[in-house]
Amino acid sequence: MANYLDALSVLILVSSFVLVANKRISSYIATFRLQSLLIALTAGMMGLQSLRLEGRVDVLVVGLLIVSLKVIYIPNLLNRTFAQVEYRVEKDFFLNIPLLVLICCGLVVFSYFSISTIAGINAGTINMQVVNSVSVVLIGLLFMISRKKAIGQMVGFLVIENGLFVTALFSTHGMPFIVDMGIFIDMITAVLIMGILVFRINEKFESINLHELKNLRG
Amino acid sequence: MGLFLLAVTGITAVLFLLLPGRNLLHGLSLAASAGLLGGAGGLTREVLRQGQVTYPALGGFFYLDGLSAIILDIVLLLGFLVSVYSVGYLEAEFRHGQVDERRLGIYYFLMYAFMFTMMLALTVKNMGMMWIAIEATTLASAFLVGFYNDKLSVEAAWKYVIICSVGIAVALLGIIFLHLSSLSVLNPPQLLDWTALYDQAEALQSPILRLAFIFILVGFGTKAGLAPMHTWLPGAHSQAPSPISALLSGVLLNSALYGIIRTVAIVNKNLGSSAFTGRLLIAIGLLSMATAAIFILTQKEYKRLLAYSSIEHMGIIALAVGIFTPASIFGALLHMINHSLTKSMLFLSCGTVLQKYGVKEIARIRGVLSLLPVSGPVFLLGLFAIAGTPPFSVFSSELSIIGAVFAADRLLLGAVFILLLALVFMGMALSMFRMFYGGPRGKLVRGENNLPGTVVLMLLLAAIAVTGLYLPPDLQQLLLQAQQIIIGGQAHAG
Repeated sequence: MANYLDALSVLILVSSFVLVANKRISSYIATFRLQSLLIALTAGMMGLQSLRLEGRVDVLVVGLLIVSLKVIYIPNLLNRTFAQVEYRVEKDFFLNIPLLVLICCGLVVFSYFSISTIAGINAGTINMQVVNSVSVVLIGLLFMISRKKAIGQMVGFLVIENGLFVTALFSTHGMPFIVDMGIFIDMITAVLIMGILVFRINEKFESINLHELKNLRG
Repeated sequence: MGLFLLAVTGITAVLFLLLPGRNLLHGLSLAASAGLLGGAGGLTREVLRQGQVTYPALGGFFYLDGLSAIILDIVLLLGFLVSVYSVGYLEAEFRHGQVDERRLGIYYFLMYAFMFTMMLALTVKNMGMMWIAIEATTLASAFLVGFYNDKLSVEAAWKYVIICSVGIAVALLGIIFLHLSSLSVLNPPQLLDWTALYDQAEALQSPILRLAFIFILVGFGTKAGLAPMHTWLPGAHSQAPSPISALLSGVLLNSALYGIIRTVAIVNKNLGSSAFTGRLLIAIGLLSMATAAIFILTQKEYKRLLAYSSIEHMGIIALAVGIFTPASIFGALLHMINHSLTKSMLFLSCGTVLQKYGVKEIARIRGVLSLLPVSGPVFLLGLFAIAGTPPFSVFSSELSIIGAVFAADRLLLGAVFILLLALVFMGMALSMFRMFYGGPRGKLVRGENNLPGTVVLMLLLAAIAVTGLYLPPDLQQLLLQAQQIIIGGQAHAG
């Protein structure tokens, strides 16, 4: 069991590397879908375990919600938004991809050294699952600042959310159920609002390039 | 009563989408906000008598004590005053064709949804639920910031949503670590429950708790507009409709600080000293004040200038919480109230000026005093008040914070603090005061066009002038209760 979870946490980390290496908007939406699927698998496995041991179904319910929201609904929504606002494929990043991947490696090393010094998270051995999931959060942040398109920032935000969710799952076996539900409601509302704003940006600025949003400074 | 208050706000918000007619919308808003204010008064009385208010309904999620009661009262008081002001403001916008009837309903719906989420953040016991409510405040106010739907306001709304959502996501990581630090101590129904966390604070795992505090400070600090995470704030405050700017600055920032203060109480009790949280809070507070001082000196737009002044005052409050002596906590809480009232008064007068002149640049405005016979002087006095001139209330709370800093033997810190306050005063005087004198250009007509709004402005001016000299005993007792909750020294029933 622990081996499978270790493997899944590494796969989730790898999927965020793939995300950073993606060039096109459509391919990073697909990678996000894959990452969410891996997280749903993790939640499913932990949910089955907690059902067997303690008779609790809440983690399983959360896993099912991830499948319906993050694997199916949100990626479709992003694809639809993308199809309506953008017709050409443009270069969409500030730094080149090999450099970004190297920075990602640095982030993983950084979170390894910071998490491993904190007593309490690590019971004897270093908890690699938490290291991996905190790295996903940091990579999500890097992804957000490295993309120029509004949709890239939405995907980055969702990846951060994914990273937070697996951090909670691996370190504490999930937050209290009511809190998890609230986080889902907030997340879906945030994505809908950002989606509407992307349309408005597209309408007012005639593109979704964020470097045009520089009127409010100082 | 408390649950009733939440329910009323939620239902009212939905009603705004269903009801037709301008007069009906204005009437409902006035009635609802007056009712809410009355309810808040009743709840505060209960808190004063019993120390806290809880109900067994819905798993006992509702919890109100002295600390949250103070901020809840600010929310509902400003909610009422802003509702009154909005009537005149929106009518003027309606006459100019800026809004139609449908968008009026949406405005009120969003405003009440915004107030609902802030009330929820202040009245839940569970830190996770509090996080959800604070994130929801961003979502509810996003379209209020982008209400005018032009280039600048859409840009401000996008930056607001993205920066605050990411910031608040960082706070979630902090909440997760807080949860982790308590796993071996608390049982399932108490998980993330603030009173339980605080009661058993000594048993939490300190290393994880410290990590949690840093994330929560950065996360909620983003929402509270503390530098260097403040970049969304000037844009959002200047682009939102002025009544909403008043709510954002007077209420929203306090709700975010409230999350930080709750965490500080737990962490300091756990570590047994305030050295760790104090260092971080004082550093971030001074940085916010310094950033604000520089930008105020070079600012060209009056609403942005006031937004930077909000950053400065949040810095002052963070610094005072960082000192963590009874006197400084008292000063911080008092300053929260005073800043909210004064700053919302200023943003509301900005709304009047903006509707009169139609421009946001300071350089294009002359003769406010002669053109607006009531709002003009109120605006000018408000600027003096916010910069810390006696006899207004901001002066008295700043004085008590300075006193607390020196009493704690932080002489250098006190000197830097006073220097920064002086810099801000100078910046305000240099950039803003030229708006008031001289003759107005063009063919603008002398007179007030928002009558209910003018009454609100005068009420607020009276409030900040009176509380600068005299603190009502009830308010003082409430502040002392809140101070005890933060510092400790009083047993809490879980």
